[in-house]
Amino acid sequence: MGGPLEPTVTAAPHVAAAGLSKRFGASTVLDGVDISVAKGALVTLLGPSGCGKTTLLQLIAGLATPDAGAVSIAGIDVTRTPPHKRNVGVVFQNYALFPHLTVGGNVGFGLTGRRLSKEEITGKVSRALDLVQMGKFKDRPITALSGGQQQRVALARALAVEPSVLLFDEALSALDRNLRETMQVELRRLLKDLGATAVFVTHDQDEALTMSDKIAVMNAGRIEQFADPLSVYARPRTLFTMRFVGISSELRGKVSERADGRVRVDTKIGPVVAQGDQAIGAAVIVATRPEHVRIGAAAGAEDNRVEGRIHNITFQGSRTRVAVDVGGESDFGVEIAGVNALPEAGQGVALIWPIAQSFAYLDPRGGS
Amino acid sequence: MLGSAAKWFAQLAMAGAAVFLLAPLLVIAAASFSPTPVFDLPIGGASLRWYGAISSLDGFWPALALSLEIATVSTMISLVLGTFAGIAIARGAMPGASFFSAALASPLMMPGLVLGIALLQFFHGLGLTQTWTSLLLAHVVVTLPYVARTMIAGLSRFDFTLLDAARTLGCGFTSSIVRVMAPALAPAYLTSALFSFLASMDNYPVSIFLTDARNKTLPIKMLGSSGDFVGNFRDVFTVPASPWSGFSA
Amino acid sequence: MSVVAMVKPNVATRLRSAKAGLLLALPAILVLVFLYVTPLAHLLAQSFESAAGFTLEPYGRILGDAYGRSLVWNSLRLGLITTGVTLAVGYPAAFGLALSRGAARSVFLACLFLPLAASVIAKAFAWTILLRSHGIVNDALMWLHITNQPIRMIFTQTSLIVGAANVFLPFMILPIYAVVAQIDPRLLEAAATLGAPPVSAFLRVVVPLSAPGVVAGVALVFSLSVSAYVVPNLLMGENYPTLATTIAKAFLLTRDPALGAAAGAILMTIGLVVVALSNRLGQAAGGSR
Repeated sequence: MGGPLEPTVTAAPHVAAAGLSKRFGASTVLDGVDISVAKGALVTLLGPSGCGKTTLLQLIAGLATPDAGAVSIAGIDVTRTPPHKRNVGVVFQNYALFPHLTVGGNVGFGLTGRRLSKEEITGKVSRALDLVQMGKFKDRPITALSGGQQQRVALARALAVEPSVLLFDEALSALDRNLRETMQVELRRLLKDLGATAVFVTHDQDEALTMSDKIAVMNAGRIEQFADPLSVYARPRTLFTMRFVGISSELRGKVSERADGRVRVDTKIGPVVAQGDQAIGAAVIVATRPEHVRIGAAAGAEDNRVEGRIHNITFQGSRTRVAVDVGGESDFGVEIAGVNALPEAGQGVALIWPIAQSFAYLDPRGGS
Repeated sequence: MLGSAAKWFAQLAMAGAAVFLLAPLLVIAAASFSPTPVFDLPIGGASLRWYGAISSLDGFWPALALSLEIATVSTMISLVLGTFAGIAIARGAMPGASFFSAALASPLMMPGLVLGIALLQFFHGLGLTQTWTSLLLAHVVVTLPYVARTMIAGLSRFDFTLLDAARTLGCGFTSSIVRVMAPALAPAYLTSALFSFLASMDNYPVSIFLTDARNKTLPIKMLGSSGDFVGNFRDVFTVPASPWSGFSA
Repeated sequence: MSVVAMVKPNVATRLRSAKAGLLLALPAILVLVFLYVTPLAHLLAQSFESAAGFTLEPYGRILGDAYGRSLVWNSLRLGLITTGVTLAVGYPAAFGLALSRGAARSVFLACLFLPLAASVIAKAFAWTILLRSHGIVNDALMWLHITNQPIRMIFTQTSLIVGAANVFLPFMILPIYAVVAQIDPRLLEAAATLGAPPVSAFLRVVVPLSAPGVVAGVALVFSLSVSAYVVPNLLMGENYPTLATTIAKAFLLTRDPALGAAAGAILMTIGLVVVALSNRLGQAAGGSR
């Protein structure tokens, strides 16, 4: 590229998988998946159960071998390397702490056999425990710990060996909600402070949005979208992503015109314009987020406008959910902030939302 | 993960153990069909004559009857005692629960002969000379550990809040035990009853001291009461293999 | 039923538990105390009795005499060797059982439980047939060219060990299996991700976790084989006198109750030591859960 004084433009990915496939019996769990994680990045694999996210994590950890494809960590191909030589740290969903060892024994487990002196090991154990604020529990048996404490010990144990990458397999899902939300924030801060590279697996989209630098939304063995949380939420690339992350308010229709990256779609309740480039005559679903829809306001040139009848109103404190009957099989969701000017059920209303926040996707069910 | 070589080795060991454990059983079964009085392998042909001869064995049926009676009654008593004790321990409300549980299991590790003698002298000292009763009491001690161990294990896995749920749904205390706990513990009951029954049927060391010339349990009959082998080969094999004596003793 | 009424029974059941617990356990406690502890204590006391009052004479006859000591040693030896053999075979076999699935597992379990239903007398006898000079085992050994001539195995200590191991093997495998089957396979995965190679992971994680089962199995097999009567009697006759055979003879043949009681007391002491040790070791190994 440039001369010796030019800075490197892209650093090599710290964890990379290329063309990974894995079958269990007759079903294909992963189908040619590529992903790369930069050093110091926190990446989440997000998807419903059965989408392959846990399998992908296991392939990175070496706890399973792929049928096709390659895995590399820190630039070295590790596809054939057994897990104990990969220097990955894994935090399991049920923590997998060794019941016959104390907290300190668990944390120091990976450090024996590395030719470290006893003092060095003790030092590393203490440091790891301090990072998770469990320093005082060093000599306790793990059976005396609560779920949250066990989770911290599991994290300290993985950190103590200073791995190239940390892998979290639904590690927070066994915690109750308040604790989970606290841990999400704490964990992200800690990992960022350490400059650690981490891959999370979760089915909880809020967790993914909170903790990640990038989210890989997975469905049926494939990655649907791999982008930062804002992009995944505000510019979903596929209908699955639109629906899985956040709430999707939808209309069905057929494309009647297309130009400049937009399509005009004829729906039961009138035409709408959305971002998209499907062929004319294609059956599509037009989707937007409920918070972008305004009720009864004036429509600008860059807005869509349709009419419907209010079916249901759900008051949720700081916001209100309004379900509007638009002649389709499911209601069109609208979110109103605050408690002012609440409409009433049965009211006929006009719904207005920006074209820029409107996305067209091919209807998986074809035309009707 | 255990390497696959290690897994093969472990399963090979188990297979070898299985063959080792089955071998004498096959001999027993084969011997009972032997056509000749002196048994040797391989057998020349098959014959059912020994099964027929069982009924003419002197004292066979009374011995079998006595063994079955004692085994059944002592098992039933142990089941009740063991279940209650198991509930007390599993609920954890009992002081000294782990000591008690170890004490309940300890007769298994005590030499049976010693227990037999001790009971014989104890009963004599109390003036209890009736064979049937003393045999029964002794067999309760013999069978109780089997029941207690299994029931404690089963009860510690039982979720007692199910009983609370049943009671809020209208069951009385006994009714909730019968309708909720008994079915959940059925496998534990069956296993402990089976072990207990077999332990009693097969017991020699304790019974030898408490039986007399007129009342013999099956193992005593088979081995002879002088402590030496006195009977014939064929008795020893036909009797255990006989479907009438159940698969025990 | 009102909410209050629903809450109250809960509190009541908890409070009742402590007393009810003792009440429930009472019959079993009574059986233990009166039909077990008392007779044994009585026997122990009797071993110190004689016409002249307190005496240690029967103990002297056993422990002071070379023959007597050989009885003790024979018993211990039988116990130790049988335990060693069953542990060596039974430990990997327990893992094999835990790793097996489906039909194989059912077959294995049947092979463990069926022998328990067969009489120990019949089994011991079956071994005399199998180990004969022209029996199956010798035929197999010669066929495999391990030996050219039939090995005499009847009435030797080899046949005794084989018979004892055969009878007591299930008592070693089952407790170990019960513990091993509950070990979370994730623990091995965790050990691997922490850098432990498979052998090291096995030694550092699985073996310590299997310890309570091993303690239980060893305690059971040792105490059963140390006090075994039927197996040595049938397979060795008079050639291998143990404390157990002495007890039987003393009470049934020679009518020497004090000697029998003394031998019984020594055997009982061994049993008590095994119970106490296994309890202590079992708890230390984490088996008290």
